[in-house]
Amino acid sequence: MKPGEDLACFLAHAVVLEDEAASRYDELADAMSVHRNREVEVLFRQMAGYSRMHRDEAIERARAHAGGLPKLKPWEFSWPASESPESGEMSRAHYLMTTRHALELALAAELGALAFYQHIADHGADRIIRALAAEFSAEEAEHAEAIRRWLATTPELPEGWDQDLDPPVEIE
Amino acid sequence: MNENSSGLAILGHKDYRSEYKPVWCAGCGDFGVLNALAKALAALEIPPHEAAIIAGIGCSSRIPAYTSAYGFHGVHGRALPVATGLALSRPDLTVIATGGDGDGFSIGGNHFMHACRRNVDLTYLVMDNAVYGMTKGQASPTTETDWTASKLSPQGTHQMPLHPLEIALATGAPFIARAFSNSPNELARMIAEAIEFPGFAFLQVLSPCITYRPEQLGYKKRVHAGFEPTADRTEAFAALAADDGFSTGILYRAPRPCFAPDHSGARTLEAIAADFEVVP
Repeated sequence: MKPGEDLACFLAHAVVLEDEAASRYDELADAMSVHRNREVEVLFRQMAGYSRMHRDEAIERARAHAGGLPKLKPWEFSWPASESPESGEMSRAHYLMTTRHALELALAAELGALAFYQHIADHGADRIIRALAAEFSAEEAEHAEAIRRWLATTPELPEGWDQDLDPPVEIE
Repeated sequence: MNENSSGLAILGHKDYRSEYKPVWCAGCGDFGVLNALAKALAALEIPPHEAAIIAGIGCSSRIPAYTSAYGFHGVHGRALPVATGLALSRPDLTVIATGGDGDGFSIGGNHFMHACRRNVDLTYLVMDNAVYGMTKGQASPTTETDWTASKLSPQGTHQMPLHPLEIALATGAPFIARAFSNSPNELARMIAEAIEFPGFAFLQVLSPCITYRPEQLGYKKRVHAGFEPTADRTEAFAALAADDGFSTGILYRAPRPCFAPDHSGARTLEAIAADFEVVP
């Protein structure tokens, strides 16, 4: 079953997309906490909070539109790539990453979600799914725009941002 | 937390995580493995108190602490002996041995071969990054011959890398697979299959070390689906002969009787004691 073909399946994808985004932001925040990168940790926690808020909204919509959600195993979801599209890419994380890096990671995640919903809005099997997907796509576009505005007010990377006087990468 | 039809709690993958934050480097592939392991246990509805995660020493061997299942972070290279003993004495538990390539194929290499041929019902996940990360970047058994980044092997390792899947197949492992940490949902599926397999299930997980092997970030472009499950060893060897090291999937799946000693005739301590004459 594909999210563009069945309403309950589509809504299950919408809920898990936000839930996994929140989990990933939490993981990234934890990683930054371990490395004492407080500024970026706070930003990722904030993102995790937004994702949870959006997940709860998706759950409400699922209740309103479908009554219940199918219980799918993680590998039964049909994502465009190997993970849900709003999960920030863990391999882009770095212990010295700055607010700018974190926002760029978040922007890529929002754009991934936007593309996912837009594809269903354009190609979904029925009118209700297409309409909901268009609505979700518009919301993701708003989120992406908010992050772009945030990025515009974020200082460019200072020279030497990645310098560490005691680097862990000294290979012995 | 929801309930299933029998009234039992349905756990989500977050219920399988402990309160401890991983101390892995940000971006480490092992995050994906932890994520996938939690998802697999949740999908199979194995409660944390019915699973045990056993590890040796190394970055990846920290994984038991980050889960809510029973765990044992033991001795370097000895995850498999501990897991074997536990699986035999507590067959009611789901036993998962975990670790890295150094732990599993160097100091634990001997145990690996014998675990494959012994075929105790447990799962062995090896997070393979072809480097000793915890000790700051030395060549491991799976490191390529021409890797010169370490000061200990500036002209390369001068040794052939070990091929874990070939060893597993040659020594009798009945379930052999390879996966990639950056695909946690697919990895979760393969972990679930390994757990459900009745016997020793070996899963090599390509898990990039972004700190000492940053070039492994390029794995994303190299990893590809490649193995088709077979129960024919000749076919499996042929697939390995054509393998570029980045094929993923289940290579070999051929159930055979597990090693499970019959303890039904075990004598009581009193019966054993009766055989001995105590001389004052």
